[in-house]
Amino acid sequence: MELTNREFWAVIHGLVLGTLFLLAFAGGLAGLWSLRERYLTAEGLQERSPRLLIGTWVMAIVAWLTVLTGTFIVYPWYRATPPEGVDLKDPAALVDFPRLYLLASDSTAEWHKFGMEWKEHVAWLAPILATAVAFTVSYYGMQLARRGEIRRALLVFFTLAFVAAGVAGLFGAFITKAAPVA
Amino acid sequence: MQDVQTKPNGPVAAVFVAAGIGSTVMGLLVVLAEISKDISNFLKFDANFGIGSGVGPLSGKALLATIAFFGSWIVLHYVNRGKEVDFNKWLTAALVLVLVGFGLTFPPIFEAIAGIFKSEG
Repeated sequence: MELTNREFWAVIHGLVLGTLFLLAFAGGLAGLWSLRERYLTAEGLQERSPRLLIGTWVMAIVAWLTVLTGTFIVYPWYRATPPEGVDLKDPAALVDFPRLYLLASDSTAEWHKFGMEWKEHVAWLAPILATAVAFTVSYYGMQLARRGEIRRALLVFFTLAFVAAGVAGLFGAFITKAAPVA
Repeated sequence: MQDVQTKPNGPVAAVFVAAGIGSTVMGLLVVLAEISKDISNFLKFDANFGIGSGVGPLSGKALLATIAFFGSWIVLHYVNRGKEVDFNKWLTAALVLVLVGFGLTFPPIFEAIAGIFKSEG
């Protein structure tokens, strides 16, 4: 039982960091949603505040690590090109070159043209939006319970970060199934 | 109106709009790289500046969008520090910018826009 170097990084990028992101999102969303003065005592606010802070920063840091490993480690394997002479219309000759493998057949080309083209770009919105959320939670701390308009804005940004990461993660899984980098 | 018991909202408005700017820059670079081969080649920061290897134009798009986010955040934070701003206006601007970013990274949209420019060129 072993993992190749490519499999290892694909697992770190898609599975380990992706799972952490989902966990941090779920916890953060629940924490933000219920962070209202009328729901919580002063002790409750104090108890909840560090958890929310850690959850949002974990989400932001994990999002950055996910796009960095994806873009600079895994993606170059995906878009690798074969040596001269390889038939670019023969999928069987392109199994080690996922992008070209997908493009070689009409039945799989859209995984690249639509799926990967969207995933590789929209993924970068997730860490940006998640960082804005984490900064705001740090800035206000427990005071956030008294700033309903900002808490609602955070919920929107938090959800948009999740949508961006979700699109990227979903297409990442499908594309890996169709043409693994390993 | 500021709640006297809380900090001013200026720095938060700043980071939200900065996130929108970063998102929009990513979207614009996707469209520009699709329209122009020269821009696409310039965005190959891996080949041009040694940032990564084999990443292609995504290296430039990602780095410039990140710089746009952090750069505009620093500037807007400085502008808004200690101020209570009209949060709804800033949030609306931020959301519009974020949604533009989402839209311009969506292949049917950026390909359609690129198609218009290519046919005119």
